[in-house]
Amino acid sequence: MCGFCLLKKFEKQCDYDESSQFACDTERRMNGHVKSMHFQQLMETAAALLSLLLVMAVDSTRTVAASRNQECGNSLQQTLKLTRLVQKESVDLIKTYKASQGEMAELFCKVTVADVPDPNISGLEPSERLASISIHLQAFFPHFKRVYEQQTDLQSPTSPLLAELTTVSTRSKNLATLINSFYQSLFPNLPVPEPAGGPTTLPPPQNVFQQKVYGCVVLKTYKELLANVSRELRTLKNKVCRRRIQINTLFL
Amino acid sequence: MINSVLLFCLSSELYNHLVITPQSPVLEIGTNFTATCMIINTDEITAKDLYWNLSDITVSNKQYTKINSSSLSVTIPVIGEKHEWLFCFCKEVSNYVYLNRSKFRHGIILTKGYRPGKPENLSCEAVQVKMEISSTITCVWKKVGRSSTDVPTKYTLYVKELGRNHSKETNGNSSQVNLEIFPHHMPMEIWVEAHNKLGRIESGHLSKDADSFVKTNPPSDIKVISEKTFPTSLLINWTHPIAEEYLKLTYQIRFCQNGSQSWTYVPLVDTDKYIQSFRLQNLRPDTVYVIQVCCKNARRGHGYWSNWSTNATMRTPEGSKLTGKPDLWRIITKVDGVNERQVRFITKDPVFANGRIQRFHIKIQDKKDKVKSRSEEWERIPVNRSEADGSSSQREITFLKQIDLADERSVRVYVTAFNSVGESAQASLFIPDKAYDLAPVEGLNLSSHGGQLWLEWKAPKNKAVSEYVVEWAANGWTDWQRENRTTTHTVIKGNLEKFVCYTVSVHPVYSGWTGKPASVQAFVEEGAPLEGPEIVDRKLGRNDVELVWKEIPQDKRRGFITKYTIFYKNGSKTHSVTVPANTTSYTLTSLSGNTRYDAWISASTIGGSARSLNHSFWTLKYGECKRSPRIEMSWLIKENFWPQIPNPGESTIGTWSPHHPVKADTPKENCLSGISVLDVDVCDGKCVFEEDKASLPLKKDKYLSEEHSSGIGGSSCMSSPRQSVSDSDEGGDMADTTASTVQYSSVMASNGYKGQTPSSQPQQAIFSRSESTQPLLDSEENPDMLLQEGSKHSQRFPRQPCFTHTAQNKDSTDPADCHQREMEQQELLEPLDFYPLEEDSEQTTPTEGQSADWLPAAPASSYMPQRGGYRPQ
Repeated sequence: MCGFCLLKKFEKQCDYDESSQFACDTERRMNGHVKSMHFQQLMETAAALLSLLLVMAVDSTRTVAASRNQECGNSLQQTLKLTRLVQKESVDLIKTYKASQGEMAELFCKVTVADVPDPNISGLEPSERLASISIHLQAFFPHFKRVYEQQTDLQSPTSPLLAELTTVSTRSKNLATLINSFYQSLFPNLPVPEPAGGPTTLPPPQNVFQQKVYGCVVLKTYKELLANVSRELRTLKNKVCRRRIQINTLFL
Repeated sequence: MINSVLLFCLSSELYNHLVITPQSPVLEIGTNFTATCMIINTDEITAKDLYWNLSDITVSNKQYTKINSSSLSVTIPVIGEKHEWLFCFCKEVSNYVYLNRSKFRHGIILTKGYRPGKPENLSCEAVQVKMEISSTITCVWKKVGRSSTDVPTKYTLYVKELGRNHSKETNGNSSQVNLEIFPHHMPMEIWVEAHNKLGRIESGHLSKDADSFVKTNPPSDIKVISEKTFPTSLLINWTHPIAEEYLKLTYQIRFCQNGSQSWTYVPLVDTDKYIQSFRLQNLRPDTVYVIQVCCKNARRGHGYWSNWSTNATMRTPEGSKLTGKPDLWRIITKVDGVNERQVRFITKDPVFANGRIQRFHIKIQDKKDKVKSRSEEWERIPVNRSEADGSSSQREITFLKQIDLADERSVRVYVTAFNSVGESAQASLFIPDKAYDLAPVEGLNLSSHGGQLWLEWKAPKNKAVSEYVVEWAANGWTDWQRENRTTTHTVIKGNLEKFVCYTVSVHPVYSGWTGKPASVQAFVEEGAPLEGPEIVDRKLGRNDVELVWKEIPQDKRRGFITKYTIFYKNGSKTHSVTVPANTTSYTLTSLSGNTRYDAWISASTIGGSARSLNHSFWTLKYGECKRSPRIEMSWLIKENFWPQIPNPGESTIGTWSPHHPVKADTPKENCLSGISVLDVDVCDGKCVFEEDKASLPLKKDKYLSEEHSSGIGGSSCMSSPRQSVSDSDEGGDMADTTASTVQYSSVMASNGYKGQTPSSQPQQAIFSRSESTQPLLDSEENPDMLLQEGSKHSQRFPRQPCFTHTAQNKDSTDPADCHQREMEQQELLEPLDFYPLEEDSEQTTPTEGQSADWLPAAPASSYMPQRGGYRPQ
């Protein structure tokens, strides 16, 4: 309530409150100095009330921010956990892949192959880097599909490799979904990240050797990407989820 | 709705003039339903001509509402689950209607059901398969509300992943949804929807991280390591059941001593971590422990605890120090005949043996004989404990030594225990002389609940008790526990068995001296006795019978006997009498004479009852003989000396030995025997059965005259009409009669007469009747025939030798012996039905001065030979 209103109220009280009539009369008999003192006191009370309201507002903001921050941290934590899981599964997958490709499996993975997505995350801002993670993950999906198709021809249907490929592929989709969701919660006004250059370019038809090499390179590159994602998410945790508190603190 | 009705109207235009709306409704039970019947394409009828039928019953017109001249509605309550037809009919108001009846009716089927209830208690679980969590998630819920056959409620389980939805329908209360992979670290929303034709409703949604639904396998490869340097500690190692990347786990550990089911749980705060090992501390040395581990999602409130792992068992190393002292106790038994007590010393291992006990040392010091060196020596008692011995949570009881201790002597006993490391503190016990009675506790009270025995007592007055020993014993097994001096109530901590009678004693101990115990008996739980009481004897009367039974053996009682119930049955009517538990005999009165009864006795505890075998008996046809004392002597004389010889006047005695002693244990016949012709005289008429005579081949005048020929009367009960049959029914001068019958009586006493029995005992040569001019008794002439006659009874009543008074068979004449044998026979004969001859045997009444033990004895056996013997006459 403003100080002026309080003053008005006080005068109204003098008009209608009979019990305090005497006090009011006395005060009326006093000079303008007295009146100005009253006004000053009321202004002080109003100022105190205003300060209190401000503190309450700021505190409320801080609480909301803390809550949001916790939410952010939880989401990021879950994303990070899933990244580590896919990382672990991709490591296991590479082992299974090598084990199921016969001799010279180690060599396959050392060859460089074109048309495999870049495992490096780009961008300067957290939003750009998060978007980059999402785009890179999505870029691998068609490659997984191609590798699965190729390996279906090369492996028996009961091969653990096929099951693991399915698992990693599905898990990667989950990770991409989670990252997109996290991205949208952080940057609701930005567009959902999608590969900029259209559909991913897949390699032309390959012979068996090329297929084996291609598969290994895809998995190996994907593993690198996951390592990068994991690192990036840990960094983002400090940048994205804590920055809001800093902003709030600055506001105070 | 209206459109559809109109369409229907159009389609049925050519056929029906009545149409009901709505068509095929599904109705909620408990509500009201309104249907409207419309008249179409005819002016033949109006709404007032319509009426409604629900199945075969016409609905009351109070439930009708006329909408207009061509529409009539009806409102009916929806009750019952079974579907019904609702018809709209038209009265036959014109010929047209009559001829086209089928066009003036329409029916709809009412399908009834309940609205679906909101499913409750939805819970979902995904279990571990191999090294991963299964992609199948299983949910269960509780159905709410009812469902009718016509409107079944179905349930659809929805599982929503981020970006993917799954659902599955079921009629039950559980379902499974198969996901592509288990979506670790992804949010998941699960709910179930109940739906039927009346509506649909969703359960509460479970919106959680997918890992909240996980139940992993228990930890595997649990290894327990025992380290010699840590006797009170065990180290546990295990393997995570699933990789950390899938799920971070928290653990719980519990352990107990081998054989105990009382688990100790390690506080969760200590194990609430992603750990693979844990050190249990503060354990007891040299004790076998069983350890189990389980795990769950480390996130609080998420996931389910796994099952407990398999047992991992390990013994802690032996401790370096034996603390405490043995728990020494004694069992004192009184030795009969001498002023001695048998004292057995027993002990339990010290509570903290800290290792395997290898031996005990015992020293018994006679208080009056302290200086004797022998008593000062320690006796070494080795103990051979196996590995398994220490595994039980129960402390071992070791027998140490047994001594015979004179009542006036007192001893002091010292015991120490040794493990591989050292010696325990010394335990001591004083056995005072018998006369030195220290005050017992007072008001010992014992109760049983919760499978345990609870005791309370009051401390002895004016005596400072240092501790109490609570002892319980059953079936030769004794155990005890110690309670401190302030204790006045406790519970027995041993493993007590149900249905076993424990003698529980509280011994106050006064500075090592054991006071007089206070004892009570108790059962932890009482049951029905394992067998009923055994009926061991009966004393028959005409209108009463006294039944005597043996108590059930202690080990078969299984509870305190609260009462005996005697049941007896005559025909189909069963009577019962309840008698207190301290009774072992009872006389049933108001019975009918000469009637067969079946009796049995049921012993009851608070846990149930058990009955004896059936015991059948016939009441006597006639009452018990009551001789006046006045005639007793003459009766005895007659009984013993009066031969049953048709005409003694025609006989001469070839040999006579007046010195032959009259055997005191001459068969103690009684009036009931009814088989001795002589007996008839001394008994009242009741003692002789009509049947007896009817059944005897001796049912002749001669028989009867013989029956009364003795002339020895004086029976106080000689008033039977049968007496009048006799033509020589004189009361008789006792002396004369006795005198006149001396020779014959002596013949009888000589056993020569009794020798007519088929006992096959050699006849005594003392007396002979060979010079008699009267025909010989049948048995004398044809002993074989006699045997045949009596064979049936000889087999059934082999107690006959009891009545054969031969020198060679003296033993067998002992009444007690005879009775015992008779009882054995009786037991064998129990299941047999009584037939007339047996009735005879049953209806035995003891004569005065005769052992009751004889009661069921002689009749048949003594009777039959005489029958045979007399028959030729």
